[in-house]
Amino acid sequence: MLIRLENVHTFYDGERNSTLKDITLSIGTGEMVCVMGPNGAGKTTLLETINGILPSTGRVEVFGRDARKHGHDIRKYIGYMLQAKTFPEDTPYLVRDVVLMGRFGKIGILRRPGRDDWNAAREAARFMEVDHLWDRPIGKLSGGQTQRVLLARLLAKRPRILLLDEPYSNLDCRAVEEVSKKICTLHTRNELTTIMVIHDTAHVPEICDRIILLKDGRLIGDAHPDDMLFSRTFRDAFAEA
Amino acid sequence: MMLPPSMVMNTIIGASLAAVVCSMIGVFIVRMNLSSMGFCMSHAAFAGAALGLAISRDPFVLALGMATAVALVLGPVADKARLQADVVLGTMFSLTMALALLFLSIVPGSVVSSTALSVLWGSVLGITTTDLIRLLVLMLALLVVIFLFYKEFFAIMLDRKLAEESGINTKPFYYAILFLCGVTVSVSLKLIGGLLIFALMVNPVSAAYQFSHDMKCIMLISPIIGLASSISGIAASLYFDIPVGSSIAIMSVAIFLVSVSLSPKRRRGQRC
Repeated sequence: MLIRLENVHTFYDGERNSTLKDITLSIGTGEMVCVMGPNGAGKTTLLETINGILPSTGRVEVFGRDARKHGHDIRKYIGYMLQAKTFPEDTPYLVRDVVLMGRFGKIGILRRPGRDDWNAAREAARFMEVDHLWDRPIGKLSGGQTQRVLLARLLAKRPRILLLDEPYSNLDCRAVEEVSKKICTLHTRNELTTIMVIHDTAHVPEICDRIILLKDGRLIGDAHPDDMLFSRTFRDAFAEA
Repeated sequence: MMLPPSMVMNTIIGASLAAVVCSMIGVFIVRMNLSSMGFCMSHAAFAGAALGLAISRDPFVLALGMATAVALVLGPVADKARLQADVVLGTMFSLTMALALLFLSIVPGSVVSSTALSVLWGSVLGITTTDLIRLLVLMLALLVVIFLFYKEFFAIMLDRKLAEESGINTKPFYYAILFLCGVTVSVSLKLIGGLLIFALMVNPVSAAYQFSHDMKCIMLISPIIGLASSISGIAASLYFDIPVGSSIAIMSVAIFLVSVSLSPKRRRGQRC
């Protein structure tokens, strides 16, 4: 298994009670998994736990390594998209800088981005159709454009795992469709493992293998979308929220 | 008042070097919202100088030591206490100020107190060759560190969390930024004083922000504007016979105001 969590409890700084409670799950190579649940269910926490950012107890293994001990190495192969990330208008960074930054961890310390890195960044920008924004300041873009630039940044990294936290949050209907297609193409073409937090059932991709349902930090369901979306567990999770 | 040419030359070189190092480090301070750093460090140095006077040791050595010590503990304390660096800076500011007053109260006499106060106001005309060498070494060290770890600093200045996500271990670089800020303040103290260092750290960078959306350009333009502030400040000081430190600070503000009025970012319909 590419990702394995066993009896995981995740704690935020200064909190006594864990946000994630006794989570056990495995995700294999090439799977596309959607994480759903009411607000405060622990969806973002789950992604950050897998990414090795948050302190947790239990076993968190990614690529067979402890995600907390080897976080910096592991993150070189994980593309994690933060929830609703925006930049102030006067942010003095250009789109090309932000996309290239995806490569920085892989380039390593004391080394400069080379031609391969620039090519990877450019290719990612082209794939996400933001290459025409290449020299624009990041703070001047619309929400949808920013979202696509941040996705390009992840792709430039050439990750093996994609962790996407509400990738459609700043997008209009047409952009959702476009970005969703891009994510699915990328997932299939590059044989990625994708874990995506979404709110809207309409955004569950056709190629989604599983939906993981969280509530109050607990995993309360894990099934194929056809089974999950029409289940009583799913209805109840949102009805009581 | 006519000054010996060697003194004028030392002043020009010293002020230019200080302007360049302050504006180089100022890019980090402005971008990462660490503007209280200048105040905090200058008061830490002030406390160090006061301690030096109280125990009959070189006030400038202790000023440097105190400011560097504060810069060293700042990052780890902020991280351990889960506080913003700015909050810790505010607390340190009040502590160092209180310590300075405490040490000064131990030392009787206004003459020694004025020595401590010179750390705050600076004395650019009294700059020595040793001071110039210190500033030059600092400038070269800053250039080397920024050159070697450019991409890490560049990423952290955009967003520490995004940088961490990219696979960069941000903690040592963040601490290094805080430490370099402290050292820059300490070494530049003698020149224009702790209170006016802030002007050379923030104003040239703020002026550079008016002309570019590109961080790389801002990093290049800021020291040039700092240099212009410094040289024009010295010229104004010699011409009008006013204190050099104040004159440099006033010129840096003037250049900032001119930059705001000329900024292409503020022209309607103009794309930068």
